[in-house]
Amino acid sequence: MANLLWLQGGACSGNTMSFLNAEEPSACDLVTDFGINVLWHPSLGLELGDNLKKLLNALTSGQMPLDIFVFEGTVVNAPNGTGEWNRFAGRAMRDWVSDLCKVANFVVAVGDCATWGGIPATAPNPSESQGLQFLKRDQGGFLGKDYKSKAGLPVINIPGCPAHPDWITQIVVAVATGRAGDLTLDEFQRPKTFFTSFTQTGCTRNMHFAYKVSATEFGQRKGCLFYDLGCRGPMTHSPCNRVLWNRQSSKTRAGMPCMGCTEPEFPFFDLAPGTVFKTQTVMGVPKDMPSGVDKTGYIKLTAAAKAASPRWAEEDIFVV
Amino acid sequence: MNNEQQHALLRKMAQLMKSGLETQTEPFPETEKEFAAILDELRKLDANDVEAKMVISGFVDHPYGPDRQRCMECMYYLVHREWCDLPELAVPVDADWWCRLWRI
Repeated sequence: MANLLWLQGGACSGNTMSFLNAEEPSACDLVTDFGINVLWHPSLGLELGDNLKKLLNALTSGQMPLDIFVFEGTVVNAPNGTGEWNRFAGRAMRDWVSDLCKVANFVVAVGDCATWGGIPATAPNPSESQGLQFLKRDQGGFLGKDYKSKAGLPVINIPGCPAHPDWITQIVVAVATGRAGDLTLDEFQRPKTFFTSFTQTGCTRNMHFAYKVSATEFGQRKGCLFYDLGCRGPMTHSPCNRVLWNRQSSKTRAGMPCMGCTEPEFPFFDLAPGTVFKTQTVMGVPKDMPSGVDKTGYIKLTAAAKAASPRWAEEDIFVV
Repeated sequence: MNNEQQHALLRKMAQLMKSGLETQTEPFPETEKEFAAILDELRKLDANDVEAKMVISGFVDHPYGPDRQRCMECMYYLVHREWCDLPELAVPVDADWWCRLWRI
């Protein structure tokens, strides 16, 4: 039986909504099949007021073991580093986080806000938000770069806006069932099993990417979303086209460009109208190339791809 | 637009350029914002005003610039249809033409 506590800082509850829709395994399976004891969760917890405080104090004092601490949302430090803008159970949430991370065997950050600060930490960052162990690309964050939980692991980051529900439950199960040793993390502390390949891997529009045929509108069934709609699939690490959403789709399959939400820089660019859903170019050439491709190679590839492009690449193919 | 109409329009555009139609090849839109500004100008035009579209987007009937850029490598060019798929243009084009909305 592993004790799990889930708290929420500066967040929209998106990751909670995602988690509650998990299917492989589901949130219920965590309890019934994997013996996880969900001590408290913002949408599921029964305790209120003093009873909740009692529970939290029992955990921070070591009276009750905390096996897995899941945190959703940013650590809010405003105003002036006090964290008073985000109070919970009688004190600043940041103080609870600090104390709970000292006693937890494993700490799991769920969603972009908890991992890198996400949208709340975008300049000018009025809530002085931080991720648990990163602020954007910089390691450190609220807990500092040297932080390790009692089991000896840094914060396990499961990014995404929101994180896919099954990424969350599968990592929680791995940790709860003693398989944490099998987890390998990348440089941003993301489990490699999910975050080694790209969103483009498994994209049904890859043939259009190969032949440089572009979709020019949202929802269009033909064409690649990279060139004209700002899709970040070729440079974003995520399995969105392998571990499908609702078991059957993904943004790119629905005609919506990947926004790169599993990368620390999300949200990209200046969020001014007309900048987000557009591949930024310099003199007509993409500013951010697909990972591992240089400008000269890309231009040569394009010329060859256009020359070899088959007629069907220009037709309206229904892709799901 | 059927094939015959498309070819007729292509010939008309080629003729316009051959007879010296002056188009705005410069400045090349270096950034996405400059690119968007040209698109805004195009959106104000009548969709059938091909000559004005050609002027604003800077059409020329030959490869352009030190990199010899041409429609053939542009992301909007549909090879088999010989067509520019940029919604604001939506005109037939030859692979060896170029305009300043070229993107790769």
